Order: sequence, then C-alpha cells, then structure tokens
Amino acid sequence: MKRGWREALPYYPLLPVGALIAIVWANTAGESYFRVAQALAFPVNDIGVAFGLASLAQEVLEAIGPGRALHTWRSALLPIAIAVGGTLGAAASYAAYLHFTDEQILADGWRIACGVDVFFCVALARVVFSRSPAISVVVLFAVLSDVLALLLISQRPFAAGGDAGAVALIFLAVAASTLLRQFDVRSMWPYLIFAGPLAWIGCYRSGFHPALALLPIVPFFPRGARTPDDLRGLLHRHARVAHFETVFAYPLQAVAFLFGLTNAGVLLQGVDTGTWAVLAASLVGRPVGILLAAAAFPKRSFRWAELIVIAFIGSVGLVFALFLSTSVFPDGPLLTETKLGAIATVVGGAIAVGAARVLRVGRFA
Amino acid sequence: MIRRVVLAAGIAVALLRTPSVAQERSLLPNRPGSLKFAAIGDNGTGDQPQYDVAAQMERWHQQFAFDMVIMLGDNLYGSQQPADFVRKFERPYKVLLDSGVKFYASLGNHDNRSNDAYPLFNMHGERYYSYARNGVRFIVLDSNVLDSPQLEWLETTLRNANEPWKIAYFHHPLYSDGGRHGSEVELRVKLEPLFLKYGVNAVYSGHDHIYERLVPQKGIAYFVAGASGELRQGDLKRSTTTAAGFDQDRSFMLNEIAGDDLFFQVISRTGATVDVGVIHRKSTT
Repeated sequence: MKRGWREALPYYPLLPVGALIAIVWANTAGESYFRVAQALAFPVNDIGVAFGLASLAQEVLEAIGPGRALHTWRSALLPIAIAVGGTLGAAASYAAYLHFTDEQILADGWRIACGVDVFFCVALARVVFSRSPAISVVVLFAVLSDVLALLLISQRPFAAGGDAGAVALIFLAVAASTLLRQFDVRSMWPYLIFAGPLAWIGCYRSGFHPALALLPIVPFFPRGARTPDDLRGLLHRHARVAHFETVFAYPLQAVAFLFGLTNAGVLLQGVDTGTWAVLAASLVGRPVGILLAAAAFPKRSFRWAELIVIAFIGSVGLVFALFLSTSVFPDGPLLTETKLGAIATVVGGAIAVGAARVLRVGRFA
Repeated sequence: MIRRVVLAAGIAVALLRTPSVAQERSLLPNRPGSLKFAAIGDNGTGDQPQYDVAAQMERWHQQFAFDMVIMLGDNLYGSQQPADFVRKFERPYKVLLDSGVKFYASLGNHDNRSNDAYPLFNMHGERYYSYARNGVRFIVLDSNVLDSPQLEWLETTLRNANEPWKIAYFHHPLYSDGGRHGSEVELRVKLEPLFLKYGVNAVYSGHDHIYERLVPQKGIAYFVAGASGELRQGDLKRSTTTAAGFDQDRSFMLNEIAGDDLFFQVISRTGATVDVGVIHRKSTT
C-alpha cells in the first residue's frame, strides 16, 4: 500500500505547493494576492498552460497510435462510453441544481463540471488498482472527458467580439507544421517557433482559448511509441531526450507551480451556489452518468464494484476544473464560487478510496 | 389603571417605532433643484417585507420627492416570468412608478441576464451602462461578470465624465462586513484603482442582506444596502471599517446631492431612521 502511494506521487508535485500557498495568501492578505494573481493570469493561463496541454496531448497521441497502449478500439469503447456518459451526467446535474436554486447567471458553468484531473485520477487509479487494466480505462476515460471539455470551452463565453478571420492563422500554423513534417524535420523547435506563435495569435484574436493553441500542431511533433507499462507503471519513463515532454519537463514544473499559485487562491467565504453546483455535478452527476453508460455497454470486463470505484475516481476535477473555470468566468464572484467547487472535488478521491475499501476492490480485495 | 398604562406604553413604543415623516424630514435638506434618489438592494422577493419597505418608500416620497431609484441587484428572486415582474416589482412599487419615479437597475447574482431588456429597469438591453443627472454621473456595472470589455468601457466612461459627482453602483460590495459574503477583494483589485484614478465619490452595493456604511476607503464612500426585501438578521460583523450599520430589519436609502454635499438617510421597514449623514465632496479646482 505504501508503495502504491509512493508511486502515485503527483505528476506535478509543485502544483499543490503553489495551490496551498495561494489559498493561505488569499485568505490572509487578499488584496496583495489578487494583485499578483491577476498579473500572472495572462502569462500562466494563456501561455504557460498551452505548453501543459501540449505535453498532455503528446502523451495521449503516443498512447493511442497504431500498436500502442490504448490503440485497440475494442478496449477503448468502454472508456469512450463512460466519458460521454460522465460528461452528460455532470452537465445534466449542474443544470438541474441551478434549476432548483435561482442563479441562472451561473448557467455557463456547466462546462466546468465536465473536466477531469487526468494526473490525479491516474495516480489514484494506481493507488487503488495497482497494475490492473482498469488504469488504462481511467487514463483514456479521463483524457477523453477533458477533450470533450476543451471542445466545450474552446470559444470563451466572455471573449465576444473575436476576429473570426484570425482563424486563418490557425490553419496557417497547421499548414506550416505539415510542411515541416513533409521535410522530415525531427526537431520540435521549428514547429514551436514557426507554427506555435501563429496558432497562438490565431486563437487569441479569434476568441478561442489561447491555451489550446499548440493542440493543432502537436500531432506533427516527433514522438515515440508508448507501451502499456508506461501507462500502468511510471507514466513518464519512455520519454526520449528530444521529445517535447522531456525538454519541457522542468519548465512545466514551474508552470504547474505558478498555475496553482495563480488559480487556486480563493476566499473560503466565497462558498455559494456555484460551489455546490460544481460539486453536485462532479460527485453525483458524473458518477451516475458513468455507471448508466457502463450499464448500457454490452460487454463489460469489469465488476460493478470496480466500475463504482472508477466512477468516483473520475469525479475529481481539481486542476483541470480550475483551468476550465478560468476559461468560463472572468475574475469575480462567479469564478470564486466555481473554483471552490473545483477544489472541493478532491473529496471524490477520498470517496473512491473509501468505496474501494468497502467493496474490496483492487489492492483492498 | 394597569390596562391604561400598558396601552399608553404600547402607543408610545408604536410611535417610537414608526416616526412620522414630519419628524424625520428635516434630516435631508430637501432643497429645490437638488438631485434626490432612493437606493434599494436585494429587494425582489415578492414577499410582505418587500411590500412593507415599498410602502415606506411611498410614504417618504410624499415629503421627499425623489424622482429616481437605483437598484443594487437581485431585483427579482426565484422565478422570473412576466407574472413575477408584476408581483416582485410592478405591484410593490406601483405608486412610485405611477408618479413617474424611474428605476435604474443593476444585475445581481439572482437576476436573469435577459432582465436588462425589461423596460422599467431602464437598462436598455445593456448589462452595464451610464447616465447623468443634475451634475451626477452614475456608473452601473455588472459585477457578476467583470470582463475586459466592461473594464475598458468603465475606464473610457470615467475618463470622459465631466460631472462633478461620480457615483458607481453594482451588486457585489468591494467592502463589506457582512458575515455571509463580505468584501469582494478580487473585484476591488480591479475596480478601486479606476475609481481612485478618476475620482469616483461614492459606491453603492448590495449582496449582503444588511445595511452598512463603511468608513471611507481611500477617500471613497461605500454603502451596502442589500436589505430592501431579503434580510440576514444579525449578519453585520462590525469591524474597524464599519462606520454605521443596521441588520435587524429591512431598509432602504434616501439620498440627496446638493452642491458639494451628498446627504443620506436610511429608513427601516417600520419607518425608523437608522442612519443619517452627509458626505462632502472635495473640490478638484
């Protein structure tokens, strides 16, 4: 068990450190914290996170290519079904919660409840399931849920008036990447230097979240195969020296720290309807959606007890939900409320471990 | 004999609890030509206390003829169908509306976004807007969603405002000692520098269901008036920033701007004056 927790050390260990500092700072010297956080918001959330999402996309592409860990579509069908079910369940329960309260001003926030913290969930899955195939299911489910969430927030609701013509720059970036790939360019730097800024400016000016900017060009980056053990064991060991996730390993730790520092600082007295709506969607709606989708799935290779634990593991939105909340609401009370909900979804992790104990799942069998 | 004493005491208490307008009207100067307005917040419950406050507003309006009311958000709670606009707004304030008083609303967290199109709120489809009256520039913000376009608009509006008085109002308070919500520090960091830079004199908000007047912060007067329908009794947690407050019953504000002075008087649901004072504007010349 101890080994399980040790293996599950956070993928970005500095993120919770930054988050903890932010929460203490915001609640003791709020004005100075928010001044710093607001100054950091643009470089961290709009530029730094673009590299974080690119790294995540790189990991996924390496895992789903031909002959790779998650390539077999038969094994991918269940994660796809529960990702869709979980997203629908979260969205529906968020809307239902708002229906019974009377704060329709929070309606846009349903997207926040669709996010799953991939790294936290995978770490938790490894704690519970050790090296079971359930971990691969959790990885793919979490990634697919986040892809859905990114699609849902791709156009920022509060970035109205974007220049639609600027989308052409994104296509130009893809064309440049295609050309580089045609010339068999093996270094990722030309992709980042030439195509990256084009895509970023295109996103920024057209109203798409700039953190998504590198996603269209990541498929062209050089990459290597990912074995099932890379996912079930240490998620990061396969990396080659020239790969994006290796080169940016340390800068991304800094981004993770700053992300926690910039986004997790919320006034604890800000708990309000948005907090409960996100929590209800994550802790109730998503697990129910996951289980209903699994029930509708004809061939299941997992017991119901295992699926229940997977469903609660998938209820943790945490970092990704924080990111989504900054994309849905600008600074202010609605953002504070929903951020608190995002942070509180960590409770889902404790419920998952508790359920695993009670239902004798994985290590607890 | 005992019955008479009890009756007399009861009448005395009743008189104290509901002072006549005549007793209190001298507290505002009520000068001809001055700008007179009322302020209400968190009012739209449609319940009896809202109607009681509205009745007090009618009563005071007879002696202090304010011609506009600023609404600090949560103008309607719960369902917001056409019938609700009648029950929670048009009916309680019917006498005021019929006598030509105009209501200028800001949006609270319980208001639907589409309410900015409701004609009697005079928002003209804008969730943030500005208007000028008698040398006073009113800036109405949507503090639910304080995005970049709104901040840019605010700076432009303040920069171009030539009126001697500048008053901002919106739902979430930048300073509040309300126990339930308190100060919105995140908003303060964005708004206060602009208010200071362009000389905003007073800021009115609601959200906390109490009345509070704060000690002026960096030269700006702040009021929380969020108890014109809802009430969170005993929620005021007095601190060094509290200048005055009232959290035992519903209330609304009367205001008058005459020259360089802003007079205010806060009236409870039962008609008692719970705060009164004047803010003097520093001349910039």
